Amino acid sequence: MTSPGISVDRVTRAPGVMAPVPSPITTSGRRRRSRGPDVPAHLRDHRTAYLMIAPMVVLLGIFVIWPLLYSFYLSTFEISFYQDSTFVGLQFYQYVLQSPRFWNSLWVGFKAALMIVPATLILSFLIASLIKTLGARLAGAMKTTVYIPTAISAVVASVVFVLMYQARGGLINGLLKPLGIGPFAFLSDVDLALPAIAVPAVWLALGIATLIMLAGLMDIPQSYYEAAELDGAGFFQRTWYVTLPLLRNVILFVFVTGCIAAIQLLDLPLVMTRGSGGPVDSTMTPNLYILSQFRDPRPFATSFSITAALLLFVILGTFTALIFRTVRSDKAVDG
Amino acid sequence: MGTRTRNTVLVAAATGALVVSGLPVAAQDKVQIDFWQRQFEDYQQEWFGAQVDAFNASQDAVEVIYTVVPGDAWDAKLVAAQAANVAPDVATTNYGAIKPGVVDGKFANLVDLMSAEAIADIEPWVKEFVTTADGGVYGYPMLVEPSTVLFYRTSLLEAAGLAVPTSWDDLLAAARALNNDEVYGMNIAQTAGDLGWSSWGLQQNAAGHWPIADDWSAGRATEQGFKDLAQFYSTLYQEQLMPQEPTYAYADCSFFGEGQVAMSACGSWALGQLSGNPDWAAVWDDTAIAAFPSIDGDQTRPTSTLGGWTLTVDSKSDQPQAAADFVSWLLAGDPAIMTSFFDAAGYSKYPVRTSVNEALAADPVASANTALSVVTSDILPYAKPEPAYPWDISFAMGTAIEKSMRGGNIDEALAEANATIETVIAQQSLAGTAP
Repeated sequence: MTSPGISVDRVTRAPGVMAPVPSPITTSGRRRRSRGPDVPAHLRDHRTAYLMIAPMVVLLGIFVIWPLLYSFYLSTFEISFYQDSTFVGLQFYQYVLQSPRFWNSLWVGFKAALMIVPATLILSFLIASLIKTLGARLAGAMKTTVYIPTAISAVVASVVFVLMYQARGGLINGLLKPLGIGPFAFLSDVDLALPAIAVPAVWLALGIATLIMLAGLMDIPQSYYEAAELDGAGFFQRTWYVTLPLLRNVILFVFVTGCIAAIQLLDLPLVMTRGSGGPVDSTMTPNLYILSQFRDPRPFATSFSITAALLLFVILGTFTALIFRTVRSDKAVDG
Repeated sequence: MGTRTRNTVLVAAATGALVVSGLPVAAQDKVQIDFWQRQFEDYQQEWFGAQVDAFNASQDAVEVIYTVVPGDAWDAKLVAAQAANVAPDVATTNYGAIKPGVVDGKFANLVDLMSAEAIADIEPWVKEFVTTADGGVYGYPMLVEPSTVLFYRTSLLEAAGLAVPTSWDDLLAAARALNNDEVYGMNIAQTAGDLGWSSWGLQQNAAGHWPIADDWSAGRATEQGFKDLAQFYSTLYQEQLMPQEPTYAYADCSFFGEGQVAMSACGSWALGQLSGNPDWAAVWDDTAIAAFPSIDGDQTRPTSTLGGWTLTVDSKSDQPQAAADFVSWLLAGDPAIMTSFFDAAGYSKYPVRTSVNEALAADPVASANTALSVVTSDILPYAKPEPAYPWDISFAMGTAIEKSMRGGNIDEALAEANATIETVIAQQSLAGTAP
């Protein structure tokens, strides 16, 4: 296939042979159609594509790129809204990177992801597999049931779980008491607080993850399974050699979006710990940390918050790129 | 054009004309100023709303646009407004934010905008909270409220044969005696954010100074007094003499109101919260207050800071004089306005003007109030103003105390706090900047 816009004679011309003198008259006597000012071929051929992505590029430019650049500009100042802001270069980047609480918040975010994402993936896969085997009516009821938590406000869920976790009068400790276990002050224990917050996070994320998994499962041709069965593959072999490879992109999507959402968790720890991120910063996720810094109205705190947010953006972006690079999603093949 | 369409257009035109001619009439001749009030107890919103209406109706020069902002949205909303140059002309500002705000140039000097009589009416011991070294007054005080008061159930103490505790040892002994499966002996703050400010008075009580040198040049968090303080909190939590979960913030005295605790540290504002809740009437009838116990029983040592609120005028206000006129009318005018506030507050907050104090003293209802008597005679004279250093320092101390409560090593926790304070001093160039 030739490249668009390149004539065959130019491509096939032997080296060392002089190019023919351009003539406005072709051998057939017809005048070549004038194309006006030369537009680069790749631009001309991709014009439609450029036009179609233009609105998104413009919106991204206005609402993402420009604010990002302006935020970086602002982060080089100790910002005052009443006096001249002081240019401090990259000083606040140094302050943020030296802050043990910033790094602790990142570690809390990654720990939250480690708790939430695998649990969500496994549970949603199992539930989706179960739904796939059900009849249409029962499957519809199951899908609705599983999706309901997604429609519930995270704030409402937080309040409900806080009540359930209470050491005195809480449902969970009430269930554990006959077994002679507890009581536990889940949200006041440094070791238990983050897992206690991860539970409603999984519950809230399960609905959408299950539906995505189910869509992926339904997309796998039934003939693959029939062929595997003819070859004597059992359930686990079919799952391992057919289902999981063909769900790779779906799992990757749920994994990446789940990781980012878990690291950026804000509403659950905000409500369940009344904004403290406690006990002792054990549930202080990165976004909650940035918010807590912004609560101090001093110029120092404002600049610090902006810088911490920018660094979080860079770290999350790098993390996401690393995941994509590691799993080589671009090489994944759909069934 | 059909009849229905024609009628619709006529109605719309008439409505538009009414709106255009009616709404702006009052505002056209008046200077408009924005007043943002941080959301407090419900009765405060009612009181502020009624006073703004009264002010707007009392004259034809200034129209106050009143906005209530929830507390957890306050800083973000205010900073965003300042960034957009649309900050409110008048805003509620706490004492601790006045002097740092003056350094940032946020507030107008009220000496230039209010009468000398209004400034002179501020009680001298409060005036220092809002006055800078050059004599400028950058916020007009509204009230003070002690941050730490001991609330206790009289019947429970009597049943246990206990006297009202005056020392920390007494308090711990009483909490142990009152603790059972249904009721905790005591309640006090337990999260870093709450401990950061609610422990200020007890820091002064135990150590006699702040955890930073007077000139803000070095940290002092590792001194013995702070270790004793951390140990006190740790004992209360580790022995499970207090609720093990921060279901309610320190500023919310619901643990006590719901009868879950026999004693509680709360701010004086809890008097209004407790007395105003009909569901807690039985508890309220059984409630008394006292100065919070001191580390060694000496009740003349400070155990509380004096928090409280002022109204400030934004330095970028287009109408600073109109804004100050509103502040003058509300806070510095007829003493009856402010006495009505303290009456509505159930005398859980305390006046800061000489003329208002005199008016309350002459009021038989106010002078018969025992809580008012305890606060004014046993707590206010020994209380300290809130520190003006950055919140990061208070938070570092709150974190150290919380770590101690959760079983952490007290020496290590305070060493970390001290290191954080030293970092804050260096990064924010605090040395020598203490007001």
